[in-house]
Amino acid sequence: MALDLRQRLARSPAEPVLLDGGLGTELIAMGLEQGRAPEWWVIEHPERIEGVHRAYVEAGSDVIHSCTFGASPSKLASVGLEGRCDEVNRLAVELARRAAGETALVAGDVGPTGKLYPPMGDADTESLLAAFRAQVAALSAAGADLISIETMFDLREALAAVQAARESGLPVLASMTFEAKKRGVFTIVGDRLVPALAALAEAGADAVGLNCSVSSTEMIPMVQEATAGLEHPLVAQPNAGQPRVTPEGVTYDARPEPFAMDLMEMVRAGARIIGGCCGSDPEFIRAARLALDALFADGQASTRPPAPPDCP
Amino acid sequence: MSDKNAALLAAMHEAVLNGDEAAGERLAREALEQGVPPLEAIEGGYVPGIRKAGELWEEGEYFLPELVTSAQAMKAGMAILQPALAREQRDAQVAGRVVIGTVQGDIHDIGKTLVGTMLSARGFEVSDEGADVPVERFIERAREMDADLVCASALLTTTMTVQRQLVAGLKEAGLRARVMVGGAPVSREWAEQIGAAGYADNAVAAVAVAGELVSRGA
Repeated sequence: MALDLRQRLARSPAEPVLLDGGLGTELIAMGLEQGRAPEWWVIEHPERIEGVHRAYVEAGSDVIHSCTFGASPSKLASVGLEGRCDEVNRLAVELARRAAGETALVAGDVGPTGKLYPPMGDADTESLLAAFRAQVAALSAAGADLISIETMFDLREALAAVQAARESGLPVLASMTFEAKKRGVFTIVGDRLVPALAALAEAGADAVGLNCSVSSTEMIPMVQEATAGLEHPLVAQPNAGQPRVTPEGVTYDARPEPFAMDLMEMVRAGARIIGGCCGSDPEFIRAARLALDALFADGQASTRPPAPPDCP
Repeated sequence: MSDKNAALLAAMHEAVLNGDEAAGERLAREALEQGVPPLEAIEGGYVPGIRKAGELWEEGEYFLPELVTSAQAMKAGMAILQPALAREQRDAQVAGRVVIGTVQGDIHDIGKTLVGTMLSARGFEVSDEGADVPVERFIERAREMDADLVCASALLTTTMTVQRQLVAGLKEAGLRARVMVGGAPVSREWAEQIGAAGYADNAVAAVAVAGELVSRGA
């Protein structure tokens, strides 16, 4: 059985944990129509989702994300899957579990509810907490090994998600999505990078970090800023470059090897958990695995872990 | 323009920047009471305010909450000024008929609302369908109104492809309405690629493009 995430993070010095890459963008490449929720495929095409999971495990992911980014009750209701929170989350975790086997951990993926706080909308913490609790309970009951909260852009919502996730007793990753502005690195509602991540750590997330919105190259200075300002284990999952709209659909412009080199730069800056977001595919994760193996084999990394006696 | 009017316009600008909805409404009433032409209040007070808010957003000084409250302050003023403007323009010729909205799957409506507001201030008859508008509804409204233009906004790379469906859908429906597209990821190249008749990267330019398209005729 794979080491659980807390054991991995507690090993010091530790080799970074490798997550998976994009799931939604992989499903779109397999024919998921633009605008259709990936959660529909959990029900309609489970074998395709399992196939993507398998490809990530084969490429070397230590942790894969269940296809539940949009599987909070409110988000499901907005895509025509009202009242199916337990079912979708359970099926999705089972798919990931089958692909993960004994080699990878299954992260129950939790994304934003789609409800916005005032003045943008009328969400309140109580209703968001209820939504996250329902989803986390379903993920946990289905056997997820950890909860991974991603792409949060409002600290208030992210904190509600962390609180609900913590109640499951599972390890919790909490990532928000940031952009570089003239005055610093912020979310779209104006949460500043280091204070936001510090608040998530304070709320009890086992690791905190950044995902989506920016390319790997753009994420490097953000990771440096975050690790300089935080003691907590850091997660980094950049996009595979920037999206380009072509007649064939949306494509991302990064290549696996330079992406992997950027991830290694983040590891050198102190990132402990790395992976890819939109547009990254199993080739990106394979390149990251190769780069990690090289980094930790030739003694370049000052944080090289002693090999545990029971591991080859 | 009198000093008093100038002070009023500056206060409108300020109310929008501060996201002060109550002031946005109150100043619009004052303008009408003092005989300031509604068009002057819109284009000299509210529109510069919302444009400045947009610039502050670009610069990273404003974030979504500030932008939204600014838009609300502007809307509060527009709700007072637009009926007055309509009364004034009742006898004037309509510049053109426009259906405007943000495409399905996309809830961003600040830029779209600004373009719609400025078009109606400039004498267009505008039907603002809001955000998350299905292609079918754009087409249905264009048919009902015998629209000259359909303006479609998309702020996401995942939703801009709906603009292409809209161009094709209108053509298929045999309507004469021509399509204008806008939104952060949208470019002139994209507009040309999907066969849209017009593109603008800001609200002022959008009004100019709309005027050109309509005067050239369908």
